Amino acid sequence: MNVVNSHVLDTNTGWLILAVFSAVWVFLGWFWGRKAKQLDDFMLAGRNVGMALGIATAMATWVTSNTTMAAPQLALQLGIWGMLGYSLGSVGLMLFAPLAKRIRSLMPAGYTSGDFIRLRYGKFAWRVFLLISLFYGIGWLISLGMAGGVLIHALTGIDYRIGMSVILAICVIYTLLGGLRAVIGTDFLQTIIILIGIVILAWLVIDKVGFETMHKAVQEERPELLNLLMPAAIMFLFNNLLFGVGEIFHSNVWWSRAFAFRQGVGFKAFLLAGVFWIPIPVVAGFIALATPALGLNIPAADMVGPMVAAKLLGFGGAVLVFIIVFSALASSLDSLLAATSDLILHDIYRGHIRPQASKEELRKAARWVILLLGVITWLLCLPRLTTLASLLYFTGAFVASTIWPIIAGLYLKRASSTGASIAMLTGTVIGLWSYFAIGFYVAALVSAVTSMVIVLISMWYKPDNFEWSTLNEQAKEKVL
Amino acid sequence: MIVSSGFLSILVSIALTVTVITPVVLIILWIKDWVRGQLW
Repeated sequence: MNVVNSHVLDTNTGWLILAVFSAVWVFLGWFWGRKAKQLDDFMLAGRNVGMALGIATAMATWVTSNTTMAAPQLALQLGIWGMLGYSLGSVGLMLFAPLAKRIRSLMPAGYTSGDFIRLRYGKFAWRVFLLISLFYGIGWLISLGMAGGVLIHALTGIDYRIGMSVILAICVIYTLLGGLRAVIGTDFLQTIIILIGIVILAWLVIDKVGFETMHKAVQEERPELLNLLMPAAIMFLFNNLLFGVGEIFHSNVWWSRAFAFRQGVGFKAFLLAGVFWIPIPVVAGFIALATPALGLNIPAADMVGPMVAAKLLGFGGAVLVFIIVFSALASSLDSLLAATSDLILHDIYRGHIRPQASKEELRKAARWVILLLGVITWLLCLPRLTTLASLLYFTGAFVASTIWPIIAGLYLKRASSTGASIAMLTGTVIGLWSYFAIGFYVAALVSAVTSMVIVLISMWYKPDNFEWSTLNEQAKEKVL
Repeated sequence: MIVSSGFLSILVSIALTVTVITPVVLIILWIKDWVRGQLW
């Protein structure tokens, strides 16, 4: 076994690629965002996004560096089910399709997922939800920032802190310049780059190693990776499904898209994005199974993808993987920055600090919020706290607790405010307990089941009788 | 229950085919939206 020198790109090449792509994204951010003078243009891209951009932005946001780096990591740790389990993340996108349609029709003037919880369940549940959602948003941002630093260090030798700072700064700048319009526009290009890139990588791995050699080496060294009955992997499968559903159902990243897509686009866009997303973790992840055949010693599991690419493909592979992950990182970082800052702006600043703020004032404050969020993320990314997948699945305990309050709240009049609040709080606490007591792969599962039981009991014991028109805040204001 | 190399190759080949088709579909849809003035 030999440890490859992962710094296959010299520092100058690394800086050159970073500079070129950064300049392109920042220019496009400015170009697409220059007409976003109104709050709705900046926060929700004018609420008129079409099918092509709709599908691409849903896909690109869900193809994160966690997909391109954690999919190989999970394939290395959990084998076949690691890849397939990750693919089940697409179920969340597909299940969100009908929800997106309902959200758009119930709340044509809505801004954030927080709006829904506030109007549907009242202020206490809204605050519980905001805590969960902001914790998750920041957690995911840290995970992405860290991934950026890890990737740049692994491939170019540029210090983790410098690489992480650069990638974060680029995304903050172009999101700040163009808002959601810049995010969605760049997402389209990033999706195309990512898809073409992972196809080339996968094809070269098949060509240079081959399925037979790969399978034989894995069977000799790590046979459990090919075992369809690996218990931890099967738990991971269900956990990942629920994690994906919970993340998408609650996160303002997806709600803001439901509000931004043109009427009639949301359902098809999310459904197709889910279908197209299914194979991506398999294509990106299976290259890790080449590790035994290549005799690679992987010092950190989350570096397996870049290291296999670098070992197999040398300079070209390193450049390719660098571009893929840089695009994947940017496409998710920008979305998350925009959506989390929307939540802070609309639900914290306007909701709690300045309820009288006008749309013009909010439009100006939006840029400061993005900048502040970028700085907070940067500070939290400075110490490399944990591996990417661990951080991702820690937050699973939080987000899975919101699945049932959101589904019930959107479709059932009987769902009550008290039930939703207790479900989110208890689901999170018990999910966290299971994360530490059992393992990362059950946190979301336990949290979702706990939350579901509480929502069901509360609807039976003390049902509400919600009036749907309450959710259309703009229409209500006009009547008043 | 160990999967065979045939299973692995079929699984990856299907995934790879869908991933190849996706950018083509996206570009066709983009052109369609652009022609109709419905990009955003």
